[in-house]
Amino acid sequence: MELTESQRDALTELINIGYGRAANALSELTGYRVSLEVPKVAIHAIGETTELLREVISGEVASVNQVFSGPVAGHALLLFDDRAAILLAELLTDETIPSRKIDTSVREIITEVGNILLNACLGVFGNQLRVHVAFSVPRISVDSVEGVLHSITVRDQELRYALMIHMRFHLRAKNVEGYMIIILGVTSLERLLDELKHWERRQVA
Amino acid sequence: MNSRNAKVDHGTAVSALTPKKSSAMVDCHQAAILSWMDDIAPYGILTTDTELRIESWNEWLETHSGVAAPLAIGRSLLELFPDLCERKIDEQFRRALSGEIIVLSAAFHEYLLPFPSSLRESVSARMQQTARIAPLSYNNELCGTITIIEDVSQRESQAALLARRHERDQLLSSCLAHLLRARDPDNVVRELFSKIAAHLGVHTFLNYLIEPDGQNLRLHAAGGISEELMPDFKRVRLGDSLCGTVAAERRLIVANHLQGSSNANTVGFKALGFRSAVCHPLIVGDRLIGALAFASRNRDAFRPEDIEFVGTVSQYIAVALERAMTESALHEAQQTLREHAQQLETKVHERTARLQDTIAQLESFSYTVAHDLRAPIRSLKGYSDMLLSDAEPITPEKAKQYLQRINRAADRLDALTRDLLQFSSVSRQDIELATINLSELIQDLRVLRPALQDDVLFVKEPLHSVVGNRTLLQQCLSNLLDNSLKFMAPGMKPRIMLWTEKIRASENQILQLQPTGQGSTVAALSRDDLVQSELSPTQAGESERIRIWIEDNGIGIAAEMRHKVFGIFERLNPADKYEGTGIGLAIVARAMQRMGGNCGVEGGNGPGSRFWLELNVACD
Repeated sequence: MELTESQRDALTELINIGYGRAANALSELTGYRVSLEVPKVAIHAIGETTELLREVISGEVASVNQVFSGPVAGHALLLFDDRAAILLAELLTDETIPSRKIDTSVREIITEVGNILLNACLGVFGNQLRVHVAFSVPRISVDSVEGVLHSITVRDQELRYALMIHMRFHLRAKNVEGYMIIILGVTSLERLLDELKHWERRQVA
Repeated sequence: MNSRNAKVDHGTAVSALTPKKSSAMVDCHQAAILSWMDDIAPYGILTTDTELRIESWNEWLETHSGVAAPLAIGRSLLELFPDLCERKIDEQFRRALSGEIIVLSAAFHEYLLPFPSSLRESVSARMQQTARIAPLSYNNELCGTITIIEDVSQRESQAALLARRHERDQLLSSCLAHLLRARDPDNVVRELFSKIAAHLGVHTFLNYLIEPDGQNLRLHAAGGISEELMPDFKRVRLGDSLCGTVAAERRLIVANHLQGSSNANTVGFKALGFRSAVCHPLIVGDRLIGALAFASRNRDAFRPEDIEFVGTVSQYIAVALERAMTESALHEAQQTLREHAQQLETKVHERTARLQDTIAQLESFSYTVAHDLRAPIRSLKGYSDMLLSDAEPITPEKAKQYLQRINRAADRLDALTRDLLQFSSVSRQDIELATINLSELIQDLRVLRPALQDDVLFVKEPLHSVVGNRTLLQQCLSNLLDNSLKFMAPGMKPRIMLWTEKIRASENQILQLQPTGQGSTVAALSRDDLVQSELSPTQAGESERIRIWIEDNGIGIAAEMRHKVFGIFERLNPADKYEGTGIGLAIVARAMQRMGGNCGVEGGNGPGSRFWLELNVACD
């Protein structure tokens, strides 16, 4: 399944609204000016996602997973490869991570950053799309790309599509790249796209 | 009412989050779980209503906050902990009330609620916490928030310790790397002191080096000491104060809790307000280099790992400073040597100049003497001639003999003064160098010296052209050829061979002043003379030269006498056998020298002598 041009534009705009809020929250939290960009949004069948992610992320990934439920339900994931996770943690806290490993401290920082981003992103579903979603506690795991996606899909066979959002943090003259992935079932995706259409109409009106 | 009873209601609230079994039994069950968690959970758990009034406050919170549950419950969380608003964390609770789940990490927020640290070593610090704030709802209706707080002080402190160790290891290895590759270890060491002090969290460091007298320490580098106090630290006697004692006793001294100490060695540090100090001797092998001290005004004691670190760093620095000292001593020695050589050269120049001046004066004197003597000699000769011819009839035989002797003496005196004048003119006149065709020169000589016929002088053509002064070279050749004709055994017919040979002479050989080889003598040659010769064919270390050889069948020169022949007034044979003034070869030597050339003599193949003249080759 592919997004139409207008669907992609609408989704990008929607996510940008969410990221605007997240970037503000991160700037306030760290005292550094943080900006977030969304270079690319696409929908893929879940089976293709692993392969696509493996091309851009190698080795271990730190992933923050937040389950959401409601009319649109699924998993929201934030993925960083280990270098990006450590760099982001260092840039945000202004401390060096001497071990160069995703240690407890990095895990916690990434969890909070993930929480802020995922809340902001899922929050726009409620604010803008008027689809209320309930959140769960974010969980972090450090695993391979396959491991992360497998652990989600194996639990819930309904999940069929992945909304892949490439994102780029820019702070302190450096860029850190990551991916946000929203994994949805068929019904949820249809509802989301429906609501997106309504939202667009409301915007035009 | 105890805290647990106060929270039973929330069992029903929590149940809203779990899969529904919709029965009162489930509610009771959940309440039991919550109550049990309150007892044993190593977490702070609190719930609020939608107005953020505290509804439950577990035992962990009672223990760590010092606020008992009955005092907390019912109060506004934001009133009980006003800094939540100051730190804008109230916003997070409000977001939870809008349905979001909030994660607060210690890295960003340090703590949620301001409790004292659970670690013994940091009594004054705050407990580091991570927290989760979530909405609480019941029957799909929001009824408040639940917060779970975890104490991560221990973990953070371990991580900080680990990070510190890592930083220390990196600092040590970077110190070592810098010191090992430093060309100027002294400067590298000075830069390192500040880095080390920063790592130790102190501002003051003092580095002393032992003075050559072995009795005093001289301040080599310092930081954190004001300019006014600096003179007090400039020099320390071995055995005095902290650094002097450390150096004298060659042992580490750790002076913790200085302000309460009455130790005589640390009185100075105490007076300056330092609260702790550590000083390590700098030793390489058995050699004392100095001492290194760090002092703090902020803390009462150095940690054991800091002391160990200072110890390791001191060893590195001692080696580096020793290297710097050795290099500096070497540099000084080289400098002294250079200065000495410079002085020597200046002296040589001065003396050479004086010598040349003296020589010039002497030459001028001998010229004047020779010149002024000629007139009286001519008178002597003239009058004795007149007496011999005009007064011949009246002169008794005996007187005639005397007159003839006077006459001969006057001739000889005249020859002497003439030669002396020539010698002095060779030395003094300005000469110009040009290419000389030797064959032509020999031809001219034959015209002037009828004795040099083809059966006497054999010339091996072709002859190379040379660079020289035509008049001087002609003088040299005629002097040598005259000698060959003159120093003949009675009854022998002279046979003189003349030929040229191209040789390669290194610059050193050309400038060699007084060597005597196996029976070979080389006349003196000055560098200045050579430099004047602008027609030098090659400028390289090696140049091509032409040797003009003159070999005769005369009486020869004994090997042991050869080194004398070019000296002025040197006569090897009695004057009554062979006439001469003893100046001819001295003129040759001086003339060759003026032309940037050389001359010498060797034993011939048979009887006789082999003289050679050496000049630069002419570019054909």
